[in-house]
Amino acid sequence: MAKLKILITVYFAILSLFFISQMNLIPIIAQEEITLTAIFAEPKERWDMLLENATKILNDRHPDKTIKIDYRVLPYSDTRTQILTAMAGKTPIDLVSLDQIWLGEFAEAGFLSDLTANTQKWNKSSDWYVQNWEGGLYNNQVKGIWAWTDVRALWYWKDLLNQADINPNELENWSGYISASKKLKQFLQNDGIQGMHLVGAAHSPDMWYPYLWMLGGEILEQRDGHPTKQNYWYPTYNSDLGVKALQFLKDQVDAGIKPQINHYWGQEFADKKFAVMLEGSWLLGQFDKNEWNTLEEKIGMIPMFPVPTTTSSNTTTSTLMGGWILSIPETSHNKELSWELLTIILEPNVLIPMLLQQGYLPTQKSIGEGQYSAKLKSTIPYYEELVSLISLGKGRPNIPEYPIVAEHIRNAIEQVYNGVDPKQALDEASKQSSKALGW
Amino acid sequence: MRLQNNRQKPWVGSSIVFIFLKFAYNRIELLILKRFEPYLFLLPSIIILFVFLFIPLIWNIYISLHDVSILTIIKEWNFVGLKNFYNIFSDSNFYNSVKVTLVFVCGSVLLQFGIGLVISLLLNQQVRASGLFRTLFIIPWTVSTVITGFSFKFLFDDSFGIINYGIEKLGLESIGWFSDPNLAIWIVIVANTWYGAPFTILFLTAGLLSINPTIYEAAIIDGATKFRRFFYITLPLLKSFILTNLILVTVWTINFFDLQLIMTNGGPLSSTTTMSLYMYKQAFEFGYFSEGAAVGILLIIMNIAVAFVYLKLFDVRNKNT
Repeated sequence: MAKLKILITVYFAILSLFFISQMNLIPIIAQEEITLTAIFAEPKERWDMLLENATKILNDRHPDKTIKIDYRVLPYSDTRTQILTAMAGKTPIDLVSLDQIWLGEFAEAGFLSDLTANTQKWNKSSDWYVQNWEGGLYNNQVKGIWAWTDVRALWYWKDLLNQADINPNELENWSGYISASKKLKQFLQNDGIQGMHLVGAAHSPDMWYPYLWMLGGEILEQRDGHPTKQNYWYPTYNSDLGVKALQFLKDQVDAGIKPQINHYWGQEFADKKFAVMLEGSWLLGQFDKNEWNTLEEKIGMIPMFPVPTTTSSNTTTSTLMGGWILSIPETSHNKELSWELLTIILEPNVLIPMLLQQGYLPTQKSIGEGQYSAKLKSTIPYYEELVSLISLGKGRPNIPEYPIVAEHIRNAIEQVYNGVDPKQALDEASKQSSKALGW
Repeated sequence: MRLQNNRQKPWVGSSIVFIFLKFAYNRIELLILKRFEPYLFLLPSIIILFVFLFIPLIWNIYISLHDVSILTIIKEWNFVGLKNFYNIFSDSNFYNSVKVTLVFVCGSVLLQFGIGLVISLLLNQQVRASGLFRTLFIIPWTVSTVITGFSFKFLFDDSFGIINYGIEKLGLESIGWFSDPNLAIWIVIVANTWYGAPFTILFLTAGLLSINPTIYEAAIIDGATKFRRFFYITLPLLKSFILTNLILVTVWTINFFDLQLIMTNGGPLSSTTTMSLYMYKQAFEFGYFSEGAAVGILLIIMNIAVAFVYLKLFDVRNKNT
């Protein structure tokens, strides 16, 4: 019986602890304290820099309040799932960073606040590059602001190309690129350095799209006759242009370039494991900042993806533009304050120090080319050339089904790397994408 | 007197009622508590099982019968019956994942069990520093799967891995461990074996230590060879340990997806996409939660079937012996 009484007492103690833990005591302790919660994607340093300055400004503007930002920085691979789970569970979050390709699914699911009215009052949309502003729209509503961007370009080690007797201009077209890869392979085979880098990782479609776009092809296009939505997206990436673009990847494999399954986001290039690499502008961040002022002497950059013709003037190159969008979830309890924080983060005096530190490109014209660009031009290597690519860059479709469509394309690319005919691989992928899109 | 009687009556009456109630309460308390005492002691585990096993299981079944995706998660969930199961069974990638799961589970369990048994037998010999070796062999199991995954990913990296570096130093052509669809699954199996074999070592060592050494001494006196001692004493006496170990290792391997996710993300050409990874991708990469839930239920059925087959197999052998 004594044991039983102890057991009952323990039950009551556990129950009491549970109820006490559920009581929200914070508002009683500090009424004027507001904590904004946020989920961001790595790297953490960029958010530390941005939020340190932004929090100060926000608090200065609201002397009657103590505003704190509780932000979690997650690895890229976890961010989408974590935000998704939090929003599905209606967890109040005030600010999130979204990869541009996630916007569609989050917006369609009703997770994001409509910022249209706020942006109209703010009246700064005209300062954004058109592609970047439109990247934050979904069904004609502003669902997020594209904060900074990146473009993919062609990077090479000058000394390695010199030693292999390759003129960098050769890399600008498909046939030159293939022949240069053969020369480099022969020249570097005993040095533990590989010639050309070819992406075989999960984001391989991102490195194929520019070839598709420069030929005039599209990943998806809107068509009438959808069984439920009348007019909806239809996969067109398996067109002749798509096949031709994918054939170029196959030609690279046939020329002995190994697709790299693991990707280190430019670190492999900075470590001189590859002589040539098509990589995003974030590659600069892999080099020591002290090296930046002399980097152009060692590293060459061609602001383009190789083009199919022998003279680049016939075909306009293209590139893929990525980057991060800042959005306010529907679950936020402090939407006005979150909007204010978001706009502070986008102010040049807050944003520029972070761009300088990380080597990202701005989405605002005034920072890219206007009055605030001087510091960026003098600090970030090849800054002007990289900014010039923004006008040639395209974003991926930000529709809810994009992740699965990208998976189909990735499978097709993998099949081609393993010897399957490009047309057959793309046709199979397209069938699956049509089904996923509801056709 | 009459007045006095009147005054006494309520006191006497209430005392009787009180005594009766007290008696009844004690009897009931004794009866109920005596009867339910064992259940009360079981209650914590029942609550834990209910909250962490039954509720999620029922919730999973509920989701698998509704249309829940990233687009509908905060909207109304329509009942769709078995449509999600139909979608799964009409997806060729699912059949591929079943095939990959079979290879992954068979390869992992055979290697883990084989290596684990051999090492535990060696550790059971009366050799110097066997305790130290036992500790060393357990280390991989204490390492997180994430670290294991990344370590093997870097070891076998096609371009920068130390394995290919060694191969190239020998003057041979480097091997595309992760780019060859026929090889990638075996690298994941090797990593899983490295990670999982220590559990078998630990488990079977405990089993070997529980065998009375006098049985071996008697067998040696009777002239039994090492081979015969192993097959006629060790194996039969280890049977219950082997059974439990096989069930646990098989079920864990079926559900395992961390290593595949980290090392290959299911590629190349879905050659390392097991059912559990397929489930994860459906739910969290593509946002089809109900289809992910449907695969989850199929996995539970698979786990139960595996445990049942093992139990039946060992039961038959028990009867035969």
